[in-house]
Amino acid sequence: MKNKIEAIRKEKGILQEEFAKAMGVSRQTISSLENGRYNPSILLAHKIATFFGMTIEEVFIFEEE
Amino acid sequence: MKKKDIVFGVIWLLLGLVLTVLCCLETLDEFWSGMGSALMVVGIVRLLRSYRLSRSETYREQREVAETDERLHFIRNKAWAWAGYLFIIICALSTIVFKLLNQDLLCMASGGAVCLMLVLFWVSFFILKKKY
Repeated sequence: MKNKIEAIRKEKGILQEEFAKAMGVSRQTISSLENGRYNPSILLAHKIATFFGMTIEEVFIFEEE
Repeated sequence: MKKKDIVFGVIWLLLGLVLTVLCCLETLDEFWSGMGSALMVVGIVRLLRSYRLSRSETYREQREVAETDERLHFIRNKAWAWAGYLFIIICALSTIVFKLLNQDLLCMASGGAVCLMLVLFWVSFFILKKKY
């Protein structure tokens, strides 16, 4: 699943460390999410979308395999 | 959490100390001496971790994140699954090798381990299937 986390985070001028702290996860998790190596749980996806003031669909791009 | 760590740290340390002393007095054999040393190390590590947690705010935050981070939970679960698969494969191969070497007892032990793992898997599967 692709996402726009990195682009949105950079647009808002937030560092990975700050974002990780706000989400209650490690910086490595944010890095993995941004690189698409790890797909978040629905709870984390909701938390991320809420943090950016967006919907899950606006942040995450669901592609059928 | 911190209190629990201290209590368990002290318990392991004392238990290890008692086992080591009993072994020194030749009341118990060497196996228990090794067990005692291991328990003492576990106790010391737990106590040192509690001390570090109480002294460093940064370390406490790092530990909290490490305990709640969902990616680490996912990796941990995946690592356990891999360990289980590898264990079954190694035991199954050992069973064949021991049979070829006419080591019947070892063959039975490794074959039994494979069966036990499969039974544990199915029991866990049915329990989890009911839960979720």
